[in-house]
Amino acid sequence: MTRILLSDKLDNCVERWRSAGMTVIGPVQGESISRYAVVENGAGFDFGMILPDRSVKELFFPQTEPMLRYTIKKSEIDTADFPPPQEKRIIFGARACDASGLAIDDSLFGWDYKDDFWFHRRNESVIVTIACTKADDFCMCTSLDLAPDSTKGCDVLLRPLENNRGWQVEEITDRGREAFAVIADLLQESSDQAAPTAVVTEKFNLDACVTWLQNPENFDSKFWKEISMRCIGCASCTYLCPTCHCFDIQDEGDTYSGIRRKNWDSCSFALFTMHTSGHNPRSTQSARWRQRIMHKFNYFPGKFSVNSCSGCGRCSRQCPVDMGITETLQEISKLQS
Amino acid sequence: MTENIQNTQPNIYKPAITKIVARHDEAPGVRTLKLEFQNPADQEEFKKTFRTGMFGLYGVYGEGESTFCVASPETRKDYIECTFRQSGRVTSALANADIGDLITFRGPYGNRFPIEEFYGKNLLFISGGIALPPTRSVIWSCLDQREKFGKVTIVYGARTVADLVYKHELEEWQQREDVELVLTVDPGGESPDWKHKVGFVPTVLEEAAPSPDNCIAVICGPPIMIKFTLISLKKLGFDEKNVYTTLENRMKCGVGKCGRCNVGSIYVCKEGPVFTAAEVSRMPAADL
Amino acid sequence: MITQEKYRTTVKELLASDSVKMVIGYKPGSTPDRRRPLFIRSSDDADQLVLDSTCITNLSGYLVAEGLLSDEKRVGIFLRPEGIRSINILAAEYQLNMDQIVIFGFDSTGREVRPLEGRHSKDFSALLSDIKENSPQISKEPLLESIERMNEQERFDFWQEEFSRCIKCYACRQACPMCYCRRCIVDSNQPQWVNTSSHTLGNFEWNVVRAFHLSGRCVQCGNCDRACPVNIPLRLINQRMAEMVLEGFDHFAGLSPTQEPVLASFKKDDTETFIL
Repeated sequence: MTRILLSDKLDNCVERWRSAGMTVIGPVQGESISRYAVVENGAGFDFGMILPDRSVKELFFPQTEPMLRYTIKKSEIDTADFPPPQEKRIIFGARACDASGLAIDDSLFGWDYKDDFWFHRRNESVIVTIACTKADDFCMCTSLDLAPDSTKGCDVLLRPLENNRGWQVEEITDRGREAFAVIADLLQESSDQAAPTAVVTEKFNLDACVTWLQNPENFDSKFWKEISMRCIGCASCTYLCPTCHCFDIQDEGDTYSGIRRKNWDSCSFALFTMHTSGHNPRSTQSARWRQRIMHKFNYFPGKFSVNSCSGCGRCSRQCPVDMGITETLQEISKLQS
Repeated sequence: MTENIQNTQPNIYKPAITKIVARHDEAPGVRTLKLEFQNPADQEEFKKTFRTGMFGLYGVYGEGESTFCVASPETRKDYIECTFRQSGRVTSALANADIGDLITFRGPYGNRFPIEEFYGKNLLFISGGIALPPTRSVIWSCLDQREKFGKVTIVYGARTVADLVYKHELEEWQQREDVELVLTVDPGGESPDWKHKVGFVPTVLEEAAPSPDNCIAVICGPPIMIKFTLISLKKLGFDEKNVYTTLENRMKCGVGKCGRCNVGSIYVCKEGPVFTAAEVSRMPAADL
Repeated sequence: MITQEKYRTTVKELLASDSVKMVIGYKPGSTPDRRRPLFIRSSDDADQLVLDSTCITNLSGYLVAEGLLSDEKRVGIFLRPEGIRSINILAAEYQLNMDQIVIFGFDSTGREVRPLEGRHSKDFSALLSDIKENSPQISKEPLLESIERMNEQERFDFWQEEFSRCIKCYACRQACPMCYCRRCIVDSNQPQWVNTSSHTLGNFEWNVVRAFHLSGRCVQCGNCDRACPVNIPLRLINQRMAEMVLEGFDHFAGLSPTQEPVLASFKKDDTETFIL
């Protein structure tokens, strides 16, 4: 016997959480794209998709976010904080890859200096992951030591029932238990079986790839040029990525008042590393693609003991020229073997 | 797990306000600003944390922030001096700021030159063009406690005589008996009355041939100068572990988040900007 | 299939005889319905080439990337009629020398692919003129028609809603053969012409600025529209701009490599009373 939540109780759950002061967010299929968005009742969720087009990252690290407001007076400058939103949120129906992505970036945003814009939202959000029962050709979590039912970064894990009438409930953290205490009486004991999780075939040999990437000789390999020849240098892979965290800081306003913002930025862009002198350490697209792969699978794990990739596959799924991490690592696997 | 995240700090991107108390033109397009904190708490914090080699983000609201080293030494912490070339949006705004104007400062960030480890050793400073400021911070940090160090040699070069920065201090070092100063300008950059060397820094360095024995070298300059100077130092017999340099990658946040200063496994803003040549040689050269 | 085989043979010959140093074409992608750009330098690799109706991407932008043509050697490229128009514009704007370009033209109806006769841009001028003549008769997308029926406010709201999804990844710009500027206006910050932030105003500014820069230059290859990861119907803007340029100036972008850019040339008999 396990505790289950029936789909027809969702309306009640949403209502309970909302009256407990929480904003309820879930996967929503819009007219043009799908994303994690606010839902007002059970009918607002769309659980049918493999995963939303846009990752959950944007709820914690928005594409543009005000950090402070400045006012310049005659002999004085006022800087006012722009605190991150104070709302409590429950993200119901996150994918395991998205939730893992958040846990991965915690290490970066909490490294010595703690970024409150990130952590405030993290502390105020409950992540309820629904294990995947289907996957597409681009899913690759299993190649990264993760799984369709990973609990990394999640507070509650739900497993869809085989009979499709709801989910088995596994509370993972205290924060998850607290959020589900609000709906405790809507749960029930049941012997319904969970549906098998999606079969995500292993796309590449990660260990072999890491070995290859760590070998300094391969840094200058002609492989980088070949694999990235068709890269057009846009940022769609980095912006859709649940773990890419780079940003720019920009002022908007005039000499008297304005706002300083944190905006997504990308290692794909030539300007990203360009010095004022005109010297650019990464002046070619192949150097920039190498940096992205090296950073995710060599540098980041070297520093934070975790790969900066959770295997969602969005980079390959959305690439205008059909590139992506999967193809690159598949090719590297071949080179190493 | 998410529940372990505690102790969030206040806005780490919020700068302190400083007032320009003096400014000085060093060379065409190169200016030094002397700054004082407006808030005593910021001043105290700076005094507690600043060590030579660290950098800051200097800003003008409405234009943005720009990264450069703190050019003043750790032995003089009542103020900050910074020297920059006017070239971009922010440096233009900084250059246009007048005495009495307020500008922002975030920092000091990054690591430092471990000068206690240099006690009792000879020091060789090598610098090119607009990269004298970081070296100058170390130079004064050492000269202000001169008795703790052995022989001090400074090799400094610029494209032309006009491009030499801190001319008044070069004069002062020239006068001092406890400092050996070797000045050079690139061929063609000399003026009719130029009495010093003509030639590129690595060449002039090899001619001066300082002994590597018990000597620490500190080099700052444009990437190309650093590259060739490291080769020259190797020829002279310097051990990579005794050679220090600074990397000045493009930065935005200064606190290891925004990702752009990443080179190899290093975030220059947090683990740098000061590295030994041994550390630099382990980084992917092509990305420097 | 026949077209593909024929072209593979030609590509092999040209590479083997060093008549071209590289051929840019298509190869299978990560799923059966995807094709990805392919760069062939050796005749041995010509068998990787595929050519079918799913070869949609306009490859002409690669010609002007990272100095490919700077050695003055010839490059072969697979192009649909829109692609040929793109390289005509690139030549007209002095971005490439047409004598370096060997064209493998193709078009498709339904699933069937057919070759276009010719190797040099000038071989296709009759074909392009026909396309121009027929273009007013091509029926509009229903969505574009419905936008045209909207009043100003509704239209503004429609685009505001669409642009709200923009994340400024610049996939539209990077995928566009016409966006070859070394430094895009959005990357210029002295002065900051365009807001870099991806909020409503910044998104509006970016997309409108791009539309203006493309008017009279866009060939509607659809690269931007397909590249957009948030599915903004960018093709509609470009279609409308192209229509206006055709109506107002009888200008059909990319007819020939010597065609004058419509918004950068002046005619004495222009009916307008001002010059911008």
